[in-house]
Amino acid sequence: MKKESVFHKIGRWFMRWFMGPKYEEKMREKEAKEASGQPDDSELIVSPGRQIFQRFLERKFAVFSVFLVLFMFLLVFIIPKTKLMGKYFDAYTEVTQKDMPPTLTLMSVPKELKNNIKQIDSYGSFSVGLSKDGKVYIWGATKMGATGLDVSHIPEEIQNTKIAYIAAGVDHVVVITEDGRLLGWGNNRFAQYAVTDAILENPNLIPVPEEIRDGGIDVSHVKKLAAGYQASALLMDDGTLHVWGNKQTYANLDKFVSRTGMQDVDFTLNYVVALDKKQSSIVTGVKNLYNTVRTEIGGEGKKITQFLNKRKIVSLTATSSSICILLDDGTMGLVGDFPKDVVNVPEFAEGEYVIDVEAGTYHFTCLTNHGHVYSFGGDHYRQAEAPTELSGVSKVFAGAFQNYVIDENGNLLDTWGLKSHVFGTDESGADILQRVIAGGAVTMTVGAIAVIIEILIGVSLGLISGYFGGWVDIVIMRVAEVFGSIPLIPFMLIMSSLLSQVNLSTSERLFMIMVILGILGWPGFARITRAQILVARESEYVTAAQAMGVKEGRIAFKHILPNIISVILVNMTLSFAASMQTETTLSFLGFGVNYPQPSWGNMLSRASNATAAINFPWQWIFTSAILVLTTVCINTIGDTLRDVMDPKSTNDK
Amino acid sequence: MGRYIVKRLLYMAAVFLLLTFLLFCLYQLMPANRAYTDAKAELQQLKNTLSPEERETKMQELLLKYQRLYGTDTDDVMILYLRWWGVYPFYDGKVNGILQGNFGKSYEYNLPVVELIGPFIRNTMIIGAISEIAILGVTIPLGIKCAVKKGSRFDKGTQLVSLIGFSTPNFIIYILFIVLFCSILHWFPVSGMKTPGTSYTGWANVWDVLKHVALPCICLVFASLASITRIARASMIDALSLDCIRTARAKGLTEKVVVYSHAWRNALVPMVAIIVGGFFGIISGGIIMETMFGFKGMGLLFYNSVRQADYDLIMFLEVVYTFIALFSNLVIDLCYGIVDPRVRISK
Repeated sequence: MKKESVFHKIGRWFMRWFMGPKYEEKMREKEAKEASGQPDDSELIVSPGRQIFQRFLERKFAVFSVFLVLFMFLLVFIIPKTKLMGKYFDAYTEVTQKDMPPTLTLMSVPKELKNNIKQIDSYGSFSVGLSKDGKVYIWGATKMGATGLDVSHIPEEIQNTKIAYIAAGVDHVVVITEDGRLLGWGNNRFAQYAVTDAILENPNLIPVPEEIRDGGIDVSHVKKLAAGYQASALLMDDGTLHVWGNKQTYANLDKFVSRTGMQDVDFTLNYVVALDKKQSSIVTGVKNLYNTVRTEIGGEGKKITQFLNKRKIVSLTATSSSICILLDDGTMGLVGDFPKDVVNVPEFAEGEYVIDVEAGTYHFTCLTNHGHVYSFGGDHYRQAEAPTELSGVSKVFAGAFQNYVIDENGNLLDTWGLKSHVFGTDESGADILQRVIAGGAVTMTVGAIAVIIEILIGVSLGLISGYFGGWVDIVIMRVAEVFGSIPLIPFMLIMSSLLSQVNLSTSERLFMIMVILGILGWPGFARITRAQILVARESEYVTAAQAMGVKEGRIAFKHILPNIISVILVNMTLSFAASMQTETTLSFLGFGVNYPQPSWGNMLSRASNATAAINFPWQWIFTSAILVLTTVCINTIGDTLRDVMDPKSTNDK
Repeated sequence: MGRYIVKRLLYMAAVFLLLTFLLFCLYQLMPANRAYTDAKAELQQLKNTLSPEERETKMQELLLKYQRLYGTDTDDVMILYLRWWGVYPFYDGKVNGILQGNFGKSYEYNLPVVELIGPFIRNTMIIGAISEIAILGVTIPLGIKCAVKKGSRFDKGTQLVSLIGFSTPNFIIYILFIVLFCSILHWFPVSGMKTPGTSYTGWANVWDVLKHVALPCICLVFASLASITRIARASMIDALSLDCIRTARAKGLTEKVVVYSHAWRNALVPMVAIIVGGFFGIISGGIIMETMFGFKGMGLLFYNSVRQADYDLIMFLEVVYTFIALFSNLVIDLCYGIVDPRVRISK
């Protein structure tokens, strides 16, 4: 038997669904007769509806389009309801993830590293790992925005040296070699790792301290190497703290220059936070900053002295906006702000206490004395949902949005968190795929509702006008002409600037846009309906209905409307695509759907700048490709419908 | 014919008045209070020796003065509208509106609107005319060829390309072209009307302007290619299936004569609306193109005035757009009469 193509098969399924097995039987008989060379004398009688449907199925591209549009609908309306979207919300921004090209390897630890991990660190879009034999590995999105900087090019000097400590910043990496030198690669414009004359002259930058500039770090006494946005810190176990980097991103950076007696240090997004010898407060050099402690997210805040109650802080670790402090009795305290989409602090079992906490950009991952791993805090990319069955964990590492757990031999046990930005991220650091899905829902809803409004007004007025004629017809058609001659884009621009004066909520604004689009678009439908009615009014079945004494209104809506529905259907499809285009155009110009609510139009508005368009191609290519694909498919469906419904085009193919 | 035109003109005037009235009402909703702003500004210039009460009364005085000056001393929209037209007197008994040549004043440019708008309209008209000629020059032969060779590979390819082009919002085409021609190939400058900081004269100037105008023109042409080709093809196919074509072929006329003389004349009827409407459409449809290329035409002016809330200018441009739309409807109807001998518009 001949192999069936996929389209053929799908077509056959559809045929059976809609026409029943009898029909298929007949068709098969017919085919068999044709194949055996017998003349086909049996004429299949099919209703016009079936005939249209049959002919539609013959157009493979149209069938494919139907499926694609259905798929798009499912994608934009169902996916957000499932777990796949993570905890998406419109206004999400993340400075450390912005302008990231499409990356699938955010959590892919290199194979060579998987079995001998010593350390993993990450701050922004990429992660660095250190193996037990002192080799450095890097993965994630390593190309940094428009600067052309690529941190995956590890300098040979570092590749050939045994490394003892690593720390990753947002676009730089600092390492300490086994022989005590401080090296680094990546962006050095803000004195991240090397010293140049320009850096020494710049009052806003703190260069790498002289003591550690040319080697001379006692590696066995290094306590912590940390990197932040554009700054880094080195803490020795005698309490000496060295910090260097950009003062403008960390306002309190210079308060930490050559401090001694420090116990711990870390970076939030805007402040350096440290722990001094007294171990009774978080040292920031800024008054009243980070002095309220909570035991759980959203819990009641207590003053830090009150909370400590003579206990001591052992260590601290910081996300972008919050700090987790660990006390000497194993209690955890949370300081600072958390985003809205959080997983709360876990309930520990009796006698279970935390021995280690690691911080990502918004979440914390902690390891307890029972060997359990818990994550809590920001959960936007499901990075705070730790697997429950993990055993033999000896160390946890938190990347920016990733988590890695290893056993005591350095074998990678499990990872969870953000794997990929399939379409990259936009200028505010949000995942474009998520925004495409959410924006698709907005764009399609606007398009659909606008068309429904157009049809409701247009068809009913067209019916009335065409059926009753006379002065009603004249008035309605003149009104349609007035509405039809309003120039669309200029008028929408005025209307939306008016709308922005009125304080509307996002959904009200969206509704207004739909209504305006609908109100401006109805004359087309009215004209088409009227023209069809004028033809239908003269036909026999209407005369028959009139002769039977059916009421006028009933004839118009019950007898004529079903007969012209096909024409309306075609125009509805085409108008749907057109309204989507109008909405995207308006949003693109900044007069439709406004940021942060995504729409396929306003997601493209950055591309109106040629430099941005060429530097960040993924920010417009995917969105516009999906938009064009959707409208092409919808228009194909409309075109094909028109073709197959047109009785004139029956024979010429 | 003459009577028909007069009738249409009268009808057009009525619709125009209605539309401008609606627009004017919308315009009144805008939160601009020029009298208040100016009164406040003048009050600020006064010496600070006045007591609060005196300031209050002075403010009222100034406000009234400016309101009377601008004719906004009433809340009656009808009166405001009539004043705007220049048929209802202001407080001082004078009439000063559109009929007297006062279209308002742009506060952003500090110029009367009429003086301001000249070069912008000229630029838009130039680019509109060039691209419209190019569009028709490409699409009509293309549409005819597709219709004549219906079902051929050429036709199917053109159909597919024009379907994609038709479904793509224009601004995406512009983005693609800017990236391709400006950023990758470096053939054309990205924006503006001339190279900044230069003062070419003669042919050098013409060349410079041409280089800047070329890409917007190409973009406009491409953006409208698809839809007009589709319509040209469809109407040509309809025309080719007419009985008169069969007769013409039966008579033994050459295919060329059949297609270009008999069928084309018939296909032109539905095309008229597109051809004429397209030309006028470019004037108002160029907003997106002009803002993206920084092309100093009416569209950019309108976009900026909306952004800057320059209300008199918005109102004036909106009136111009409405007028153009109505006028093009009239021209289309008249053209029908010229093209289609069956339409007798004098009836």
